[in-house]
Amino acid sequence: MAENIGIRVHNLRKTFQRGRVQACRNVNLQLAEGALMVLLGPSGCGKTTTLRCIAGLEQPDNDDAIWVKGRNITRLQPKDRNLAFVFQDTALFPHLSIRRNISFGLDMHKTYGRSERRRRVNEVAELLHVEDLLERKPHEVSGGQAQRVALGRAIVMEPDAFLLDEPLANLDAALRVEMRTEIKRIQKHLGITTIFVTHDQEEALSLGDVIAVMRDGEVQQVGTSHEIYHYPVNFFVATFIGSPPLNCLPCHVQTDNGALNLASQAFRLPLEAAGGTASLRDHGEIMLGIRPESIAIAPERPDTVAARVSLIEPLGSRTIVILEAEGVELRALVQGETSVREGEAVHLRLDLGRAFFFDNAGNRL
Amino acid sequence: MAMHTRRATLTPKVLSYSGLAVVLLIVLIPYGYIALTAFKPAEEIFDVRWLPRVWSLDAWRYAIEFEQFHVYIYNSMIAGLGAAVLALCVAVPGAYVFGRKQFRGKDVMFYIIVMALLFPFVLLVVPFTILWVKIGLYDTMPGLWLAYQVFIIPFAIWILRAYFAELPRFLEECAMVYGCTAFKAFWRVMLPLAKPIITSLMFLAFLVGWNDFLFSNMLTTGQGPRTASVIIYVSAVGGERVEWDVLMVMTLMAGIPPVLLYILAQGQFLKTFAVRSY
Repeated sequence: MAENIGIRVHNLRKTFQRGRVQACRNVNLQLAEGALMVLLGPSGCGKTTTLRCIAGLEQPDNDDAIWVKGRNITRLQPKDRNLAFVFQDTALFPHLSIRRNISFGLDMHKTYGRSERRRRVNEVAELLHVEDLLERKPHEVSGGQAQRVALGRAIVMEPDAFLLDEPLANLDAALRVEMRTEIKRIQKHLGITTIFVTHDQEEALSLGDVIAVMRDGEVQQVGTSHEIYHYPVNFFVATFIGSPPLNCLPCHVQTDNGALNLASQAFRLPLEAAGGTASLRDHGEIMLGIRPESIAIAPERPDTVAARVSLIEPLGSRTIVILEAEGVELRALVQGETSVREGEAVHLRLDLGRAFFFDNAGNRL
Repeated sequence: MAMHTRRATLTPKVLSYSGLAVVLLIVLIPYGYIALTAFKPAEEIFDVRWLPRVWSLDAWRYAIEFEQFHVYIYNSMIAGLGAAVLALCVAVPGAYVFGRKQFRGKDVMFYIIVMALLFPFVLLVVPFTILWVKIGLYDTMPGLWLAYQVFIIPFAIWILRAYFAELPRFLEECAMVYGCTAFKAFWRVMLPLAKPIITSLMFLAFLVGWNDFLFSNMLTTGQGPRTASVIIYVSAVGGERVEWDVLMVMTLMAGIPPVLLYILAQGQFLKTFAVRSY
């Protein structure tokens, strides 16, 4: 790798209660300096534990788990790591003014003189638009402002990396979107390596240069938003990402006169349309995963599937059409408005070229 | 309309102030009588009247010059302060650990400590006296300080633990990420946050030492660090006749220091009970 590695997590294992609870089984992550990685996963998947291990708030089971800028910091105290952690609960110090909160890290290390510390705090406060709040106490500012201050406290340290543990989870929806953009802007501006933990896939897809999807203490896939969404490695990643969710249909592969067919309860479709499907020949029962936007309402043809519209959910710019075909429920995502009505019989074109196939173990075929 | 609303709010105000005034009088009248009696000459003690006919300082002179009462006031002061400082040295770190850290046997240990409060500590006076004589703490000031802790420490840990437990999550971890050791996080962040309640507890602990009669009476002699409350008792029941004027002087002298301390620390007490928001 030509780029410098900012953070490397190597075979991280972390167990609680004497090995009875495995929070991280074998986590491996590598992050270029200056990049922003999002750890995404359902609650209890080990993403926060991974982050806490990086910060030194938890001790990993293995000695060579955490590397920052080529240095093994696994057993260093949190204060000696030069990493800034932003908590889900803002955790501002209630007895200190906003100014003292932001300069807390600088005050503890005393690397800089008094006036220099003051200058740096002012600079960061301006960057985050909290310069008018500096003399207030934490209980006198709003939740969004408090989270900005918490960010400021991290930024002012000029750390080797930012570790953000669901920093926006306690904010209301509008503010969350606004802060998300702001965090990304600031991160690009400062160029500091950042790991952002969240369980919100929209947040993850919009923020991360790289996204690592985790489940049960293991990393499932690391990739860009595009890769994670369009090329999921397994059934879990495919179903976890995407809203409205992936349509999943148990199918089996049939061979008729040398032609490959995909058969399910609702349809029987020729598989030639999908490229690179020869490998499917060896599998009997498979799971078909198809994104709602790959299902279109179309005029009847031999390769369309008959269905009935059961519900319509308009979202403004897009519309979700919920359909029923022989007892199977499907969701289609249509741009703009739709002319179909609830109860209407329609035909669907499934774009199998963009569909995913999984074996019984959930691996992508 | 305006008149109507004004009257409606005025009546409850008048009622509550008159209620408070009655309570205040109940409290103040005995103190007033004590204060005035302290300035009566001996022959006027049994006259039922408020103001003395002749203002006299005889009782004060007697209490200080003959009884040396100021020495015992000083003893009480040292007993109270020592008890408070010792209690906080143990209870603050103890309560912090109980309130914010996880370890095995935590709940059991905590309940054992708090159970000590349920034990009637009058029953401990005799065993304490025997033990203190054996280990050389009898008739010493540290002996008094230690004895008071039986009551003060469980109480202080109980109150402080709840306070520490309620402080926002992650505060210490946050301090540690931003440059503190675990101890410095406690010292720089948790302790300042608990300052109001620590001040209040210090005052309560001081009062335990200051007001105590039981331990001081049993664990000290007239030659040792006897406290004011014991002397008041001795002069009330000790001689052939009770010198009421002297007793009133002593009561006044013993009553004033806690009041002064309270006034000094009042701001902190108010913070303890003020609504906290983080």
